[in-house]
Amino acid sequence: MNPEVGTILGLTAQKIAMGFGEHGAAFAQGTVGLLGIMLSLSAKEYDRGADIRFNENSDLRALFAAIAPAIGDTALRAKLEVAAAGAETSLRISTLNESNYALRRLLDEALIHAEDNGARDIERRIWAVMKELAARRLVSLAP
Amino acid sequence: MSELSTRLEAYLRHKLDAPDLTVADLARIPGGASRETYRFRARYGGKDRGLILRRDPPASLIETERTTEYRAYEAFHGLGLPVPEPIALELDPRPLERPFFIMEEIENCTTGSIMAPDPFGPHREKIGQQFYTVMARIAAADPRDVGLSDFEGETDIHAVAMHEVARWEKVVEEDEREPQPIVRAAIRWLKRNPPPPAQKISVVHGDYRTGNFLVDNDGNIRAVLDWEMSHLGDPLEDLGWAIDPLWSGGNVAMPGGMLPRDEAIRVWEKASGLKAEPKALHWWEIFASLKGAAIWISAAREYAEGRNTDPINAFSGWYCLAFHNKVLADRLGARA
Repeated sequence: MNPEVGTILGLTAQKIAMGFGEHGAAFAQGTVGLLGIMLSLSAKEYDRGADIRFNENSDLRALFAAIAPAIGDTALRAKLEVAAAGAETSLRISTLNESNYALRRLLDEALIHAEDNGARDIERRIWAVMKELAARRLVSLAP
Repeated sequence: MSELSTRLEAYLRHKLDAPDLTVADLARIPGGASRETYRFRARYGGKDRGLILRRDPPASLIETERTTEYRAYEAFHGLGLPVPEPIALELDPRPLERPFFIMEEIENCTTGSIMAPDPFGPHREKIGQQFYTVMARIAAADPRDVGLSDFEGETDIHAVAMHEVARWEKVVEEDEREPQPIVRAAIRWLKRNPPPPAQKISVVHGDYRTGNFLVDNDGNIRAVLDWEMSHLGDPLEDLGWAIDPLWSGGNVAMPGGMLPRDEAIRVWEKASGLKAEPKALHWWEIFASLKGAAIWISAAREYAEGRNTDPINAFSGWYCLAFHNKVLADRLGARA
């Protein structure tokens, strides 16, 4: 998620500390409302952030393990195999992000390879995982 | 605020040749992350007018040209569409520190919230008819007739779609802070599956949707706002954007919370004289979600890097980007 929770909390605190008096009531009300929404979403992200990234990384490694044998490009196949054999070393968001970004870059590379080579089955498998990832990252506004 | 009020008063006295002009009740209003927006009263010559000041922020959601927005207001106000009357455009930063423009305030109106399940209640059909008809009239207008033929944009009907893809791909390239495989896949799909040539080149509003127009209590659309992304292009771009599911909380059947989808398209086709051929419209719908994603990626970067800390940018980076990633994954994944 960009921006990350820490950035949102820091900038929100800064805005609240500075106040909105000089801009008038309508602006203050609108801004406070949005800050409230972002605080509420940040609370949810605090709870689910590591879980989302951990599961996403796990799903991507499983996908790479499944599709690697069918990849003709040996360099790409090797990268997929190495990534598939990886594991988390920490549950810190920043560390999970680091592996997540590397895995998503590799996902992009694998999809391009499948598109360029007409590998429809691999394409379908990648899209199935991408749909799950997108659904998991949806942000709910419900209380 | 009082200093801004004083400077604004001095500017308007000179600009409108109204030495008795006074500015009162200047107050910033929320929304419009691309410009700082203020409402105020201007009293002069026995008149008491509600006006809106739109001033460039230090950084904006998407870098937009205020001259473009102002000229669009001039053109379509002149055509008799519900658009606020533009009053003054000032590019010299000295009067108010940054460029700005001033327009008429449309009073006693509201916008429909994209978060509300039924934003327009009993007026939804009446508003929907106007919404798609006004959009169609923008599409039908000849850019030369409204004085906007020099607007930014591609004028070759065969090249316009790829011109727009390139424009938003550049935004993603420049502002992406983390890998976006779904967005990248969407860009490739758009390039590999070009739509039919545009039926004509029109002025495209660029952000025509629920939330960007004002309605009165009787369900009359009184003003179409936020023309800062207007450009020349394929009129289907506006239609694809207007029916994007983001503007109806995911309700694909009732885009924008107004008319059922098929009815909306019929109204637009009839009023514009153009066709929304399904294959072409599908392409522009995918494009709309890609364009949205690019805007939200840009907003997130502005916020995260401290250039524009309006919380709407953080909200866009979270809620809107995740939403559009889901729409793109579902739509493109279904075709894989």
